[in-house]
Amino acid sequence: MTLVAILLGIVLGDLGFFDVARLTKGLQNMGILTWEMLPPDASVLPVAGKALWETVQMSFAGTILGFLLSLPLSILGTRHLFSAPISNLSRLIAAGIRTVPVLLWAILFVILVGLGPLAGTLGVAAYTVGYLAKIYAELFEGTDPEIVEAVRGTGASRFHLVRFVVLPEGANAILTQLLFMLEYNIRASSILGFVGAGGIGFVMQVYLQTLEYRRLATVLLLILAVVLIMDGLSAWMRRRFLLTAQS
Amino acid sequence: MDSTDLALRAEGICFAYRGEEWVLKDISLSVPRGKATMIMGPSGSGKTTLMKVLAGILCPQHGRLEVLSQEVGKRTRRSLYSLIGYIPQQLGLVRNLTSLENVLMGALGRCGHGRVMLGLFPRHEIEQAHAALDLMGIGDKSSEKVFRLSGGQRQRVAIARTLLQRPRVVLADEFVSDLDLALASEVLGLMRQVAEREQMTFVANMHEPQLVQEFADQVLILDHGQIVRRFPTDGPQERLPSEVLQ
Repeated sequence: MTLVAILLGIVLGDLGFFDVARLTKGLQNMGILTWEMLPPDASVLPVAGKALWETVQMSFAGTILGFLLSLPLSILGTRHLFSAPISNLSRLIAAGIRTVPVLLWAILFVILVGLGPLAGTLGVAAYTVGYLAKIYAELFEGTDPEIVEAVRGTGASRFHLVRFVVLPEGANAILTQLLFMLEYNIRASSILGFVGAGGIGFVMQVYLQTLEYRRLATVLLLILAVVLIMDGLSAWMRRRFLLTAQS
Repeated sequence: MDSTDLALRAEGICFAYRGEEWVLKDISLSVPRGKATMIMGPSGSGKTTLMKVLAGILCPQHGRLEVLSQEVGKRTRRSLYSLIGYIPQQLGLVRNLTSLENVLMGALGRCGHGRVMLGLFPRHEIEQAHAALDLMGIGDKSSEKVFRLSGGQRQRVAIARTLLQRPRVVLADEFVSDLDLALASEVLGLMRQVAEREQMTFVANMHEPQLVQEFADQVLILDHGQIVRRFPTDGPQERLPSEVLQ
């Protein structure tokens, strides 16, 4: 524990956390920035609202596309259902996709399909595939082996096992992770416009570069509202669809 | 006894999990057709492993296994699925599916991948699944998700699934151990009744001597991976030796 504390101290020092003058200056700047953001400029609501709606669309479509692609990849990556070469290859592909951050995916798709929300949607989908394929493969591997053995003992094939054991047993966690991914992607998609991949990011970038902080404040408040609505929707869906009784 | 009178015959079965000590050591046993054989033994004696080997889930490193006079090898293990129904200790039911859907899984071995993958089973299989649930006395629970059922009802769903599979031999691994004695006796009675009617052979791991005495035709005692005692009886109700009851 002491060793970790010493190590943390050294790392924080290296990163400039003990530079008091710099931190004080930062706090002063934060005060100035906050002051310049008030009151938020509501005149940009139509423009920002439209761009934010595009972000929501990108996140929704990208998450669902990524989810649909992640399912077969994760099933193939489940080691007790498929042979080692197949599951290892599937996991390698998922790991490769996951290595690239969402912003870089967006840049790649801007290069491939041009500027706009299509590139952003594909970027979100690609990132979602990498993340969910890993999570779901681990989840499917954790399926109670006794259930798999019992159903396999009826003569069920591995595809039967996927359909009737692995997916129903993992349904709760599948939905939970999907909702989490959707929430995450809405936040992550907000900056994709910085690289020309559509959505609210482009509007934010313009207001930042032109120092229109009151307008930026409106955009940030709009994003906060959408994230809160998404949190509420997720909570409702969990209550509505997830198991509530214990075994 | 003629080999055609046997449902199961094992000779010199040895099994060890990868890199570990032998769990089963030179197991030889014979299970007569249409009879109830119960395996007893302390925890860790290898009962569950033996059951999995007999069910074809685990492949022994040494020994010979015959099911209904057919020798079982690595390549022929799949053919066991139509002959053997296996009920694991925790029953192996899918909690998120209904009783009916769980029972229908007993028919997967003879259904293809087309409509069944969409959850659309042949009409006659659905009728038989309903009949199996009715037989178990839980016909009214067919659309209830398994996680909402009581322990005894789940046991009945597991038996109904095995019935739909139409096996010749049922292997059950301490599947009533979570129930109180009265309910366990009721479930076992039902199982025995069905087994007799369908001329199925029933093999079960059991902890409870009273249940063994009530239902077993043959008792095998397993200890440290070996069968140390056998008590072939003339039928249920015959008193077991006092050392078994202890």
